[in-house]
Order: sequence, then C-alpha cells, then structure tokens
Amino acid sequence: MQWNKVIKEMFFIFGISIISALVVNFFSPAGISLVGKWDGASGEKAAKNKSYVFSGELEIKNIRIAKQIYDSGKAVFVDARSREDFKNGHIKGAESLPLGQFADLIGAFKKKYPVDTFIVAYCSGRTCNDSHRLEQLLFDHGYVNVSILIDGYQGWKGEGYPIEQ
Amino acid sequence: MNNNLRNLFNNGWIEILFRWVLGATFIYASYYKIMSPMDFAKIIYGYNLFPEFLITLIAVFLPFVELISGLCLILGIYPRSAALIINGLLLSFILVLTINIIRGHEFDCGCFSANKTGPPGMMVARDVVYLIMGLQVLLFNGVRKGCFIRSDKTV
Repeated sequence: MQWNKVIKEMFFIFGISIISALVVNFFSPAGISLVGKWDGASGEKAAKNKSYVFSGELEIKNIRIAKQIYDSGKAVFVDARSREDFKNGHIKGAESLPLGQFADLIGAFKKKYPVDTFIVAYCSGRTCNDSHRLEQLLFDHGYVNVSILIDGYQGWKGEGYPIEQ
Repeated sequence: MNNNLRNLFNNGWIEILFRWVLGATFIYASYYKIMSPMDFAKIIYGYNLFPEFLITLIAVFLPFVELISGLCLILGIYPRSAALIINGLLLSFILVLTINIIRGHEFDCGCFSANKTGPPGMMVARDVVYLIMGLQVLLFNGVRKGCFIRSDKTV
C-alpha cells in the first residue's frame, strides 16, 4: 500500500466531509452550535438547535420537586415514550402520549384535558429528547403549562417513587 | 490462508458487492444523524465517554464522514482510502459499544435512527461483520470494478 497516496486521499475525503458538514450545518434549520458546551450536570446542552425555541426554565431539574408536584395532584404526567415502554412500566397515573402517534392521539387528549392543564412531560431519562419534542407539540396545540421532568422514568423509578405497569 | 479463501478474498465481484453494501449502509446510517444532529448529540452524550466540548463536533462532522466515505465506496472514488476510514470508524464503534457493555452502562446506540436499539451484543456482532467486509475491500489486490477514480492500479 502506498501510504503517502492513501494519506492524501484520506485528506481529500475528510476535507470534503468537513466542508459539507460546515455548509449544511450552517444553512440547515436543524443545525446546532459547534462550540456550545454540554452541561453534563443537568443533562442538557448549551448548543441549541437554531429552530429550537424551548426555554430551559420549563425543565424540572430536581426530581424531588417533581414528586411534590405529583403529590399535590395538580399536574397530569404525560409519558412521551412508545406504548410498549409505557406498558412495561410508567409513572403511576401517567397518560400515554407517544411522540410517534401524537397526531392520532392529540384529539382525544385535548377533549380530556383542557389547554390550561398543568402537564409534566417525561421520557426515559436525561439522554432522550422525546419529552422536549412533546412539549413543543403540546405548546403548538395551545397548552401553556407544560414542564419537563428531565430525569424521566428511569430517574423516577430510581428514587423509588410510585410506578405501575 | 488456503487457496480457496484467498481466491474468495481477491474476487472482484465480492469486492464490489461488499463495497456497495458498506457504502449503502453508511449512507443510510448518516441520513438520520444529518437530519437531526441535536438528537445525535444527545445520544453521544448518553454514551458517557466523550469530553463535553467534543460532543457537538462529533455530532456535526461524523455523519458527513460516513456519508462521503459511503459515497466514495459506491462510486469507486479512492475506494481503498474510503475503506480505511470506514474500518477506522467501525473499530471505534466496536470499541465504544464494548466499553459500555462491559461497564453495564445503559445507552442508545444511535447507529441508524433514534429509539431503535437491538441487543448491544448484536450491534457489536453486526459491526464485526461490516469490519470483515471492510477489510476485504481494503486488502483487495485485483482490479476493482466500477470505479471512477482508482488510485491503486495494481493488477
């Protein structure tokens, strides 16, 4: 193998990749900031998607606060995960609203819960994004009181809080 | 290596088949990551292996390395070098998956799309199969079929 040739060719391939990545990321609405630092402690990132209007203030970062909200009975907990995951275990009393079936289910959901309902959305944990997306979709449908339990089902279960199958 | 295996390894039709399969796989794998870099970044974060400043850079650049290398394999543009890059990627995927399996860390593979994970052992096995294909493409000594730019003109 002629290594100097291979190295040149690899530079060519990497060069094209880097240029196209920069161009697409710059123009794409889904592009993200390159230099944003990830906040590992809270499981969120500073490098936000450009079209992403979500406010971090809506996140419930402390799971004990989520439990207080749960105990107060003022909020409806909404599970953004798939039906299968929901069946395998979910926060006790939570409503299932899988992101993939949102369009089919939102009609019935809206009839059951008026738009001023306090909703706490969750998915599996800090590395999933479904609850954030659900928050956006609910917001688009007029729901204004939507918070996100960023520790998700795993965090809730880990604390030994009420779950059901 | 016995003769039959050597012949198989140097068969031009097998080379082009493996090249196309690998190329198509990597192009397909890059698609969702390019469409949704933020989700991919979150998955990389979930692997819990990379420094925070690297996460967004990996999320933006890696899918394009996969896409361009995959295109190079299919079109036959510098196939040997593209195969070397693909093999490097596969080795790192195997390493990252294995580390997380060994330490029992729960994670989303993010290999092809969000929320679709197989058993972690299967993911490693699949990558090993791809790696064998990649090695065949890399070490192939004959004339490569269907290439636009072939730097290695060995016969």
